[in-house]
Amino acid sequence: MADPTVFTALLILAIVGVASLAFAARHRLPFRIAMRNVRRGRGRTVLLILGLLVGTTIISGSLIVGSTVQALDVHYTYLGGGYVHESVSALAPSGGYAPYPYSVYSSLAEAAAGRSDIAGITPMILSTTQVYDRTTGIPETNLNLLASNANQSANLGPFVSTTGSVVPGPVGEVVYVDVQTAVALNASVGDQVVVYGPHPIDATIGAIVQDDTRGGALTAGLSPGNVFVDLPTGQSLENLSGQINFIAVTNVGSQAGGIALTTQVSAFLNTTLATIPSAAGLSVQEPLKDSVAAAELAGSSIQTIFLVLGLFSIVAGAMLIVGIFVMLAEERKGEMGMLRAVGMRRGELVFVYYFEGLVYAVGSALAGTVLGVLVGYLLTYTFSLLFASGALTSGAILQSFTVTPDDLLISYVAGFLLTLVTVAAASARVSRLNIVEAIRDLPSPPPPVRLYTVLGYLGAVLAVLGLLLLVPNAQGTSDISIPILGGGFVILGLGLVASRFVRNRIAFSAIGVALLIWAGAEPVHRLVLGTAHTGGIFIVFVEGIFMVGGALLLYVFNSATILGALLRLAGRGSRGAPVARVGLSYPARRPARTAINLTIFALVTFTMVAIACFGATIQANLNNTIQTETGGYSFFGFSTQPIPDLPGDVANNSTLAALFTVAVPLISGSVEVNVSGSTPNPYTDNIFAAPVNQSPDSSFYATSQFPFTATWDGLSSSQVLADLETNRSVAIVDQNYAPSTSSVSGGSGAPHPTLQVGDFLRLNPPGSSAEIPVRVIGIMSQSVITGVWVNPAAAASLGYTGVSAYLLTVRPGVSTTLAAQDAKRAFFPEGLVLFEIAQILESSIASTEGIIGLLEIFVGLGLGVGIAAMGILALRAVVERRREIGMLRSMGFTERKVLTAFVLEYSFITLLGLGIGTTLGIWIVYDLSISPSAAASGVSFFAVPVENIALILLAAYGLAMLAIAVPSVRASHIPPADAVRSTE
Amino acid sequence: MAESVVVGEDVWKVYGKGDTEVDALRGLSVEIRRGEMVAVMGPSGCGKTTFLNCFSGLDSVSRGRVLVGGVDVHAMPDAQRSEFRAKQTGFVFQAYNLLPVLSAVENVEMPLLIAGARSKDARRRASEMLGELGLGDRLDHRPSELSGGQQQRVSLARALVARPAIVWADEPTGNLDDEGSRQVTSLLRTLNHDFGQTMVVVTHDSEVAGACDRILKMRDGRFHP
Repeated sequence: MADPTVFTALLILAIVGVASLAFAARHRLPFRIAMRNVRRGRGRTVLLILGLLVGTTIISGSLIVGSTVQALDVHYTYLGGGYVHESVSALAPSGGYAPYPYSVYSSLAEAAAGRSDIAGITPMILSTTQVYDRTTGIPETNLNLLASNANQSANLGPFVSTTGSVVPGPVGEVVYVDVQTAVALNASVGDQVVVYGPHPIDATIGAIVQDDTRGGALTAGLSPGNVFVDLPTGQSLENLSGQINFIAVTNVGSQAGGIALTTQVSAFLNTTLATIPSAAGLSVQEPLKDSVAAAELAGSSIQTIFLVLGLFSIVAGAMLIVGIFVMLAEERKGEMGMLRAVGMRRGELVFVYYFEGLVYAVGSALAGTVLGVLVGYLLTYTFSLLFASGALTSGAILQSFTVTPDDLLISYVAGFLLTLVTVAAASARVSRLNIVEAIRDLPSPPPPVRLYTVLGYLGAVLAVLGLLLLVPNAQGTSDISIPILGGGFVILGLGLVASRFVRNRIAFSAIGVALLIWAGAEPVHRLVLGTAHTGGIFIVFVEGIFMVGGALLLYVFNSATILGALLRLAGRGSRGAPVARVGLSYPARRPARTAINLTIFALVTFTMVAIACFGATIQANLNNTIQTETGGYSFFGFSTQPIPDLPGDVANNSTLAALFTVAVPLISGSVEVNVSGSTPNPYTDNIFAAPVNQSPDSSFYATSQFPFTATWDGLSSSQVLADLETNRSVAIVDQNYAPSTSSVSGGSGAPHPTLQVGDFLRLNPPGSSAEIPVRVIGIMSQSVITGVWVNPAAAASLGYTGVSAYLLTVRPGVSTTLAAQDAKRAFFPEGLVLFEIAQILESSIASTEGIIGLLEIFVGLGLGVGIAAMGILALRAVVERRREIGMLRSMGFTERKVLTAFVLEYSFITLLGLGIGTTLGIWIVYDLSISPSAAASGVSFFAVPVENIALILLAAYGLAMLAIAVPSVRASHIPPADAVRSTE
Repeated sequence: MAESVVVGEDVWKVYGKGDTEVDALRGLSVEIRRGEMVAVMGPSGCGKTTFLNCFSGLDSVSRGRVLVGGVDVHAMPDAQRSEFRAKQTGFVFQAYNLLPVLSAVENVEMPLLIAGARSKDARRRASEMLGELGLGDRLDHRPSELSGGQQQRVSLARALVARPAIVWADEPTGNLDDEGSRQVTSLLRTLNHDFGQTMVVVTHDSEVAGACDRILKMRDGRFHP
């Protein structure tokens, strides 16, 4: 088996299976009793399996969602990647690909002849263009130009028209456009068009080809659209006679299969290029392999987010399993006592439960895995409704729904083991009973001092383990969850040691308070751990578990005090006093049992509320971003041909002058950014430089309102801009360079170098030896316009002088859509493309809302655990308290009062769990929102979505009450005469 | 002659239907007077507990009437009968049936609270009652922290605290050892004497029956002389 995870899963399954068979052969009586227990209550077996399957469902759902996202990403990667396994090119300093002699292709093709791993090599020109359709009168900018000869590019795939027929390929003045381009131009076959470039050409549309023709042909199947011409036409259009700027290499096999040959083909290409003098500066890229890897990484990140947030529900599921087995044990206490009395050893009693649990684990893991598939599909379906747009159609998303055998196997084994391990631990615990107490159903005595001695030793070990995690990682840049985990272990360990010497209430209350402070107080983290740590999604789980655990310990060991206060309040209205006393006494005076349900509800609510708050906080910050971080500009744009004096052109055009107040030209290009000690290094990015000596309405330095998240040496924003205007050795960068930008979002993007203000960068154009060092004096909070901004003199020293990027601001009240149309029309020949900055941010907000909604639905599955737990607890209570209910009825409790007492009791548990979860959920998000990594990410707002949380709480409470409705009504209808005598 | 507190007229209780029909009570008629302490004895399965359940209003009757204080308890709807039980009856059971999550004093004050007494008054009267039964130092103990005899005394205190018209006791010494049994029997007798409390005690214990004013012997759902 190639995949080690799958191999391990199978191995574990085999070991457990063989061991269980051996146990069954050796312990036949426990096995027979266990099988009888399973058979004797089929209804209960079904209930148990339903309760136990939740953990597996969460695991299975997470893996399937991850695989689906991965499949979707990979699908679009292939769609956009075409059949280009490797490419040979060089980036031009001004952007795009640098031209090189056609002879490079000839030499490569000659060397590759006869190779069994290369299917074809295609010389191409790739560029951007704009097209004007004379027939429809519609222009379109921002289109891809793909020039290749049909006879040389067969391996890139056929041209497939919208009717499904294969067309031969464009020749001369006949061009092909894809569906997207045709829609944008409202074009039909036969339309007369002008294709723009340094030497525009008149042409005819010969065919409209499908968007995914030639595997999407390098455009991701998404916008912008494609225009296909033959190579000579492309060379003429781009004024590149005898030259090309791209060689596409297609490996033998399919798109996916050819990737396996990429390494060896790349090696061949590099070796060969080294022997071609005119190929100097060219490099070999592996676009398909890199894109697929990035897509898989993105899918894996989504999988991690779902899994980590699902961990809370998995823990809740484990608590439910413990609760179910404790319930079973109590129900069978007398039976177990008798088995022990007639000579069964304790170990064999453990096996009775082990075998029974094994059956439940086998069944529930299977059912949970299948249910997880359903959950995965429902989430994908919801995703398709929320995110479908353009080429990312709802159908395409649903088609990407992926269930791999590996996912199913891993889910099954993980769910099976989770259930079995919890069952085994619970079995060992419940089998430890006093025979006489069990037979006579007597209450258990308090635990002996010896137990606390054992706990003390365990605590010491835990504390040492915690110190090992805490001390080496206290200062530094490690993931902050490691020292926080260590600190939590130290607190727990010391508390357990203390429980040997002081009263439980004091020891465990102290642990509770300490855990809450340690996990939830950001100032403590700053003080003890500093501000240099990074953070990932796992911190939410670590802090969340400690905070919820701390709160529950506080409740369990102080429940009597809480009850006293509540009863004093309830006692004031004497009519409700007896119902309140009965209803509240059970959860308050049997806190250990209540704790299981409380934990489940608190964990699930915590996750849901935390996600809701994350969403609201991110949205609030994005909203703020729209307000402040557009830099005061409406549009960022670029042109395929330079517009040397955009401010002058705008001022002299009465239409445009009425629309725009600010027009800022920017020198732009590509640059390799060398950041010492950070990866990847070098990193290819954009470089911008704003010309100096512009009028106030055209000067970046005068008009920019981009805020900075960090500035060097305490400089103000205006001082940073003034320094940039005059000093050629400084630079400012976008937010992507800030450390820990992944923060708690799980950061799934491609790797990006990070730096601190004051750091030095070395910049050089791709493939050039020209290099300048600059000190970073500011990190902007915006990340829409990405790149390094330098002084124009510094840019000129790298060879960048041409203006091809722009910032524009519309007058108040002017429609940005209309303004963009007019500007694009006016600068159509230069191919002006404008992006509305606010719109980009708004689309990011919509995506965030969608993801948050999906996560809420996903973790909401955990509510199923809480509801199952509540129903099971209530059912058990009806059986267990039959005699007590009878006594209450004989004392004059009406049926309604019994019902009210039950509802009050479970309302108390539910509301307390919801209260703890909600408080801590809000708390942790607030805590994370004021952390250093949040500040570095530009998070400055914290928001609580009150309506959303109210809806969550209402749904959770309503469902819990539904779960207890039947048992409560049953309790109230118990005939008192039967109840006072019966024991079960 | 004291007035009748309980009057039963031709009371029948039939369980099941058709082939499984069992006559648990077969036309019982009985009169219990105020201040009387009556023992009901008989072999297992003769219908003693059914008699207690039906006459106390815990269970319904198939035929006949049961008047307690002149009121037909089976003619009342459930809610009214519950209120009647809260104000007019007290119960003592073999298994004590204390609420395990409440302390001794909380168990005892429960009938008072159900009957609508103020919280403070209920606490005072419950404490006094427990004090009178020798449990003044066990007020805040939970049932699991008390011996069997002490639990049964708490149960007695709970039955008596609201000064009911009648106390029904079902095998009150059944779970106790000899010493505990003697203490409880003596207590029942004392309470009956000192407070004039009407009591009906279902028992197998001849010592308990011997302490009563009258013994009703049951066999096959009927009283026998």
